[in-house]
Amino acid sequence: MVTNETDRFRTGAWARAAVVFSVFVLTSSAHVFGQWVTYPTPNVPRLADGQPDLTASAPRQPDGKPDFIGFWQPDRVRDCTPDLAARVRLTQPCKPGEKVTVPNGPASVPGGLPLQPWAAELARKRTADLSKDDPHNRCQPDNYPRTYWLPHYTKIFHVPGELLMLNEWNAQFRQIYTDGRPFPEFMHPIYSGYSTGKWDGDALVITTKGFRESEWLDTAGNPITSAATMTERITRPNFGTLNLAITIDDPKAYTKPFTIDMNMKIMIDTQMIEEFCLENERDSSRLFGPGAGK
Amino acid sequence: MRTRLTVAVASLAGLLVTAVPIVAHHSFAAEYDANKPINLTGTVTKIEWTNPHCYFYIDVKNEESGKIENWALELGNPNALLRAGWTPNSVKIGEAVTVEGTRAKDGTFLGNARSMILISTGRKLFAGSSQTTNP
Repeated sequence: MVTNETDRFRTGAWARAAVVFSVFVLTSSAHVFGQWVTYPTPNVPRLADGQPDLTASAPRQPDGKPDFIGFWQPDRVRDCTPDLAARVRLTQPCKPGEKVTVPNGPASVPGGLPLQPWAAELARKRTADLSKDDPHNRCQPDNYPRTYWLPHYTKIFHVPGELLMLNEWNAQFRQIYTDGRPFPEFMHPIYSGYSTGKWDGDALVITTKGFRESEWLDTAGNPITSAATMTERITRPNFGTLNLAITIDDPKAYTKPFTIDMNMKIMIDTQMIEEFCLENERDSSRLFGPGAGK
Repeated sequence: MRTRLTVAVASLAGLLVTAVPIVAHHSFAAEYDANKPINLTGTVTKIEWTNPHCYFYIDVKNEESGKIENWALELGNPNALLRAGWTPNSVKIGEAVTVEGTRAKDGTFLGNARSMILISTGRKLFAGSSQTTNP
C-alpha cells in the first residue's frame, strides 16, 4: 500500500513537472503562437487530454448538409478496409485495422491509368526525362484535380450558392457553384475548368468541364485534355478527413473513365499564407534528364 | 515515470521539429544527383527566405585546395519551415552549421539540404528536402 501511494505521489509529481515544463516552454516560445502559421484553430473537438479528436463527427451546415470548411492536405495514409484494394492500388497487401501508405494521385488507380497509345508514349517520355519539362517547375499554374495531390494546402469555404477552394500555391482559387446554374454556353478553356455542384445525400457531387487543351495531371506527365469531364464525389466521414472519389472521363487521352480515390486530412493550428512560386524560382534552368549534368 | 518525462520532452521537441509534409515544386532527380551526397560545415553568409524554396549560403573551406567555396543550399519553402518550427531567426548570418544533403547535377556549389545542425547548440533543424517525396 505504501509503495502504491508512493508511486502515485511520484507519478503525480512527474505529471505536474511535465505540465509546468510544457507551459514554461510554450510560453517562452513566443513564436509558436505568435505566428499566424501556428495560430490555434477554433472549434476543434478535443479529447480529454486536449488532443484534437480527429475521428469526431463531421460538423454540419445550418441546413444539415456536411460542412467541408477547413484547411486540407492530401493524406496518403489510409485505413486498411476490406474494400480498399478495390478503390486504391496498394503496393503491398494490408490487413484490416492497419494503416497503409498508398501511392499518390493517379498512381493510386488500381490497374493503372487506361491511357490512349499517344498519351502513354507522352507520359513515358516525360517520365524518362525525369519530368524536367513539368510546367509546375516553371511556376506555371496547376489545375484541379492535380492540385489535390500536390502537397500545398487547400482551404475550403461554403458561401450561399457556392463552395470556394483556395490554395496557397500561387494563390490559386476555384469556384464550385451550387446554385443550380447551367454550364456556360462558351467555356473559354481554363486550368481548373468550370464547376457546378449538387448534394447527393451527404456527398457533394461536382462536375467540371472546360479544361485547357493539354495539361499535366501529375508529376509523371500523364495528360488531361480539353475533352475531359471530371466528376468528384466529396464526403467528410469524420472531423479530420475528406474523402474524394474523382472520376476523369477524358476520351481523347484515356480509353475509359477512371477514378482516383483519395483522402485529405485537416490541418489544424495553422493558417493560410500565400506562396507565390515566381518570387525566387531558380530550379527550372538547372533541371536535366538522365545522364546530363557533370 | 521516466517514460512520462521522455514523452513530455519528445512532444515538446515535436513542436519544434514537426515532420511536416514536404513541399517541392520540381522533380528531385532532375536537379540533384542522389549519388553525390554532401556533408558540409561552414558559416552562414546569406539567407533567402523566399518561395518556392529558401536558400542558405555557407562558406566552406575546401580541405584539398584551401580555398573558400560559397555553397547555396536549397531548403523547403517558408511555410513548410515555419510549420516545422523555424523562424527567420533560427539561423543567423555568421553562425556555424553542418548540412547534410545532395549535390546538384550541374556541378556548381549547389545542394539540396536534408538537415541542418547548428554547431553552437547541436540543434537539428528539418530542412524540407524534396528528396523523400518527389524522387
